Amino acid sequence: MRHESSLSQVQAATNFSEPAPLHATTRAEIDASLRFPVLLFFRTALFWLLLGSILCTITSLKLVVPCFLDGINFLSYGRLLPVALDALLYGWAIPAGLGISLWLIARLCGRSLRCTKILVAATLFWNIGVFLGSLGILCGYGTSVPWLEYPNWASIPLFIAFLLMGVWVVLLFLARQPRSIYITQWYLLLGLCAFPWLYATSNMLLTWGSVQASAQGPIIAWYSANIFGLFLIPLALGIIYYLIPKITGAAIYSYYLAVLGFFSLLLLAGWSGMTLFLGGPIPVWMVSASVVATMLMMIPVAAVILNYAKMIQGQAAALKESPALRFIAFGIIAYFVATLLNLAYAIPTWNGILHFTHYSNGVVLLTLLGFVSMVLFAGMYYIAPRLFGFSWLCACSIRCHFWFAVVGLSLMVTSMTLGGLIEGLALDDAAITFVNVLSFAAPWRWLNVIAWMLLLLSYVSFVRLFGKMLFRATHPDQKASACSFNPLASVS
Amino acid sequence: MNRLRPLFITIALLFFAGWLGFVAYSYLQLGRLAPQVESDGSLPPLQSGSAIRGAKVYAAEGCMTCHSQQVRQTSVTPSDIDRNWGKRPSVARDYLRDQVAFLGTSRIGPDLSNVGVRFTDPIWYYRHLYEPTAVVPGSNMPAYRYLFKMQKIQGQPSEEAIVLTGPHAPKEGYEVVPTEEAKDLVAYLLSRKQDYTLPEVPPVPEK
Repeated sequence: MRHESSLSQVQAATNFSEPAPLHATTRAEIDASLRFPVLLFFRTALFWLLLGSILCTITSLKLVVPCFLDGINFLSYGRLLPVALDALLYGWAIPAGLGISLWLIARLCGRSLRCTKILVAATLFWNIGVFLGSLGILCGYGTSVPWLEYPNWASIPLFIAFLLMGVWVVLLFLARQPRSIYITQWYLLLGLCAFPWLYATSNMLLTWGSVQASAQGPIIAWYSANIFGLFLIPLALGIIYYLIPKITGAAIYSYYLAVLGFFSLLLLAGWSGMTLFLGGPIPVWMVSASVVATMLMMIPVAAVILNYAKMIQGQAAALKESPALRFIAFGIIAYFVATLLNLAYAIPTWNGILHFTHYSNGVVLLTLLGFVSMVLFAGMYYIAPRLFGFSWLCACSIRCHFWFAVVGLSLMVTSMTLGGLIEGLALDDAAITFVNVLSFAAPWRWLNVIAWMLLLLSYVSFVRLFGKMLFRATHPDQKASACSFNPLASVS
Repeated sequence: MNRLRPLFITIALLFFAGWLGFVAYSYLQLGRLAPQVESDGSLPPLQSGSAIRGAKVYAAEGCMTCHSQQVRQTSVTPSDIDRNWGKRPSVARDYLRDQVAFLGTSRIGPDLSNVGVRFTDPIWYYRHLYEPTAVVPGSNMPAYRYLFKMQKIQGQPSEEAIVLTGPHAPKEGYEVVPTEEAKDLVAYLLSRKQDYTLPEVPPVPEK
């Protein structure tokens, strides 16, 4: 990573899977110091994951059966959907990502954590912020700014809590014992430094209303693209760079490719996103810049995927053995597919058809649930046993979690992109009345309901398994109940 | 640490490049757009207090999750104008009088940037909000009955009472009147008109 290093140092650097193997007692010390805060991150994240996916299932059903739970103000579609999506982003993905980052950084920097009370308080503060924000939307104080729907006062506790949580990662990094910096640390630091800036500037300008409405379009598009491109995606990429070498024992295939992937992502991610308002009331040069950036996004994506693929190659046994690696493999595929779908969406004439349909939401959900979340699950599968001190209790729950997620996500992406295409073609033909367009879209929206139910099943089986682990950790003398539910035993 | 400094600076510069290009530029340039001054007032026209309050209801109910408010350039697709959703593409200055630009990213329902041109009768809006399928058969819009009050008729029926038919119509001796929120929301929707001409966007010739 350090371009000023001499060649021999870079050569040496290509051969490690972690800067310097830590002593077993150091490892135990780090894990002990992190046990409570990281598990707290995971617990709250899983709560919001479950809540968010239940609400998403309800809203997807409301879309096809509008009279379902009709006429109750806090259960209306327009209020529930932002609550659900924000719960998945702010409630689930960010705390889970932070918990994993904290552990990875502590391990990579060889430092244990002190004064965890502030961290625990910050986590609680963050969750109060998410809770109040969701409540605010339900009570009719939502802002209707995409991904920033929480009432503006809820952004203050969220911002402060994030700073309090993120500062630990930076402190750990500054106090690192091995002086070399692994690629994972770069990605994690980028994401954790980017978020406060993204969140603060967008909130200041959009929800605190200091910019007039004519200028809001590009800022909305910039935030909704970069909350993924510069925050969640770098976190996920960093986590994968740590986990694959740890699980398979393979060294990073090419360090130069890793550097290329990091810098090209950094350069391009900030310039993509304006395709969200292609043809809309924003300057045309912004759209053109984003179209180019989205096309060039193939470079960082190809660089990291090539690196990952070469590391996983020939590791069939590890794939079978390790749930974390399986989740990562699926996540990488999802990342690739999402990039291709984004690329198709950026072609102006195609965008004219695909825009405003379920297509773009499908790509966002594929990134959030198919890529980022699957990698976060992988991280939890790797880290949680080390914190609990015993391995996962039930293999069949893991299989349920994985396969329901795979089938559910595939179904969701198919229904949203293919259905979106058909809906878009119908919308593009002005001879088809709008109500008739709905009948083109309806079957695909039903498929989406089924997809959400499968995803919900998947998440429930993971939360159940995690709950069992927690119970076992607090009641070590009791034997955990054997798993009886095993519908997928034959599927490995 | 010293050897890392240039690298950190590079990373920061790359990060801020996109921010400067999109966010700072928008703030400095688009954020300072001024209304077009005409001999008989300025464009886009000023909004009533009720319409400004109605925008808050529009935000609170999340209308934006299903309805966009933008007519796209004809070079991208002519269908927005073919569908009679507007006579010309929307431009940044059209949103000058709004607090929040509800551009929207999905069209589960029709575009609303010119809904005030298409439907001018407030009663149509009230009936549609109260029970969408009664006005537009096959609509998948949820009903917003909670924006209305069902009350017992005392003496003379209220002048604001809405004539309704269908399963949710009031029983004998009862009437349905819109709440303040519903009135504001309808005032806001009626104000959704991009039917004036701005110099930066010539009207699209009729086919």
